[in-house]
Amino acid sequence: MSTTLDLHTHSEASEDSRAPVEAYLNWIKLRRAERPLDGIVLTEHRQFNRAADYRHLEDKFGIMVLRASEVETNYGHMLVFGVNDDMLARFDFSNIRLDAQTVIDEVARMGGIVVPCHPGRPNIGLYEHYESKPSLENVVAVEALNGGSRKGEDARADELIAKYGYASTGGSDSHLVSLIGLCATRFAADIKDLEGLVRELKTGAYEAVDFRPRRKVVPHAVAVETR
Amino acid sequence: MKKFDEVNIGDTLGPLELTVSKDQCRAYAKAAGFGEIAGRFTDEAAAKKEGLPGIILPGNMSLGLLSKLVTDWIGFGGARLIRLGTTYRVPVQPDHAMTIHGFVTNTNPDDRTAEIDVWIENEEAERLVTGTATVEFPQ
Repeated sequence: MSTTLDLHTHSEASEDSRAPVEAYLNWIKLRRAERPLDGIVLTEHRQFNRAADYRHLEDKFGIMVLRASEVETNYGHMLVFGVNDDMLARFDFSNIRLDAQTVIDEVARMGGIVVPCHPGRPNIGLYEHYESKPSLENVVAVEALNGGSRKGEDARADELIAKYGYASTGGSDSHLVSLIGLCATRFAADIKDLEGLVRELKTGAYEAVDFRPRRKVVPHAVAVETR
Repeated sequence: MKKFDEVNIGDTLGPLELTVSKDQCRAYAKAAGFGEIAGRFTDEAAAKKEGLPGIILPGNMSLGLLSKLVTDWIGFGGARLIRLGTTYRVPVQPDHAMTIHGFVTNTNPDDRTAEIDVWIENEEAERLVTGTATVEFPQ
């Protein structure tokens, strides 16, 4: 039994998304044949809403909804899984200049795991920071596939993975309902909850999976009429 | 003419495939009053001086193209585009093929509205401008 989760999504709780969680789940239900997800992980920007409760939606749609966070560090953006009160007391998640190595080590010490996301993206990805700073220690995995990547960004992530032996995750980085699940992570294990997700992320027993449709080349572009 | 009862989650708008020429971009910028103040929309050298790959479309022009996708879909019959919000992720360049996509992602019978995802893609399937629109249908 395996589990496929979109590990990187933003709902309307993030300032740059208007996607309600229920609409995400409805869309997954609609498109399950092409994006076979068992669940999603909400990774809102620079925050963690500990009061949010999506159990009624999980029951309604039969899709898991877990919560994590996307924080900003001196090595780019990183997903924090297994957020707990200790972490929220230790770090100000709204701080856009968190020290990456401290976050990785402290989150691990407090029971969670950090996964650098879109590592191939300019300015906010690990790849560019590794060109001018020492590599980080204790990184288990990086996001190999990101649904919002531009050309070449996922290839740069692959370079890091080959060089440092990181495990690979995938996530849509969706900010729009219809983009949920374009990329995801397939775990070998059966995951039922956040504790299971964190446990499995630490093992490296998973792979990034790509559900993005293969696009045809636009054959005959038609010029807009001028007046 | 689009009716609310005929709209379903998952319905597709477009795709609309088109190319905007540099001359059209310049004409838009001039008509909108941007030409005098922002060479990035009209002049290759000025755009490159700003670090851009060349002339780019004004944001409002992209907004107009996205709204065209929605209003073409609505047709004539009283439904109205009442909101369109966008995020500009990557500059849109003229003389490059682009495709404009839309999907109905939610419907609300209480206020007879539909929520729609919209975006502009380039030839590499990179999403350049993304957004959401709300359409209100008459009773």
